[in-house]
Amino acid sequence: MNSEPIWKSWFARHGAKLLLFARQQSRRPDEAEDLLQEAFVRIWRLYGHTGEVAPGLVYRAIRRLAIDWARSIDRRQARENRVALDAPLSFSFDRTLEQDERKQALLRAVERLPAQQKEVVTLKIWGELTFDEIARTLDESLNTVASRYRYALEKLKDWVPEEMEGKSENNQSSR
Amino acid sequence: MNEFEKLEAELKELRPLEPSQQFTARLEKALGDAGNVAMRCLPDDEVSGATHQSAHPSPKEGNLVSFPRLLAFAGLAGTGLAAVWAIIFYLSSNLAPDSPERVDNDAPLLAQQEIVEPSVGFSNDPESPLHGLSLDQLQDVSVMPVSGWLDPQINERFLRMVDEGIFQQPSGLPARQVRHYFIDETIWSHPASDTRILSTTPREEVILIELDTY
Repeated sequence: MNSEPIWKSWFARHGAKLLLFARQQSRRPDEAEDLLQEAFVRIWRLYGHTGEVAPGLVYRAIRRLAIDWARSIDRRQARENRVALDAPLSFSFDRTLEQDERKQALLRAVERLPAQQKEVVTLKIWGELTFDEIARTLDESLNTVASRYRYALEKLKDWVPEEMEGKSENNQSSR
Repeated sequence: MNEFEKLEAELKELRPLEPSQQFTARLEKALGDAGNVAMRCLPDDEVSGATHQSAHPSPKEGNLVSFPRLLAFAGLAGTGLAAVWAIIFYLSSNLAPDSPERVDNDAPLLAQQEIVEPSVGFSNDPESPLHGLSLDQLQDVSVMPVSGWLDPQINERFLRMVDEGIFQQPSGLPARQVRHYFIDETIWSHPASDTRILSTTPREEVILIELDTY
């Protein structure tokens, strides 16, 4: 009978979702892994001995660290980094999606959402957190979080067809 | 299924990229010993997919470098060694056919005491694990070498984890009780006499995981 550290199976289950959230929260795309590493190691050192850590704790740690790190860099650098933030959301997903126009349009629509709505959608859809957990992660009220999610879905419903039309128009003009 | 549910289902079909192998290896290095505190059993044929390829100490090696465990094992090792010495000493002094006490059964009491006295005379050797016996005396009576032992090899084997359910703590808050079963093995080796002593000790750890109330 072999044994292995529990964190490995835990991270295999939650790592991709956490990394996606870290990419959204970080100022620079290349900072996301550092952010996730720092948050995960901190939380696992505190609670890892129990063998079961609520993912919400790591999401919250990522968010708070991202805020701390953003404060620590000066404004000029922050402005420069804003430019680097414009890496498309599709970079954080399986590249086979490039073949699927509808899914590409979905991602582009998600990308257009305001940051506050985008993070709620990320935590709800891909993080699989409840509204209560999201509220605690973001230090917001339950109603605020639920409203942001509803508004986001309403926008996506309208924007996805727009994105698909825009894409087909671009294709036609390029021909 | 309404329009929002359909949209949610479509979004859920998009899978975020998995973290790279290099990143997982980096994480493992950063976690250090903290990563080896909680373990789970795997069937022999199961290998932990992506994460197992990175260079990291095996669970056994990881456990060896855990400081609190080393302390516990050192304590166990000391107690075990002392117990072994005491048993050997007791057996050799009572059962050995050529022990001086047995040979001189017919001798007068005073004479017998004179013979016995040097072998069990009280000695204050601080190095000796037994009070009243020097290391040389200990070696004579136990027929075991006292010096030349290698550092003990300590090995912790994780057997299983049992979830014993939810309990109410004295504070009133609920907590899940999880029990870990281990076997601690300690091996002492003496290369000169080709002697090995194995001690196994079962051990249990009870962990209370506090639960949030809503």
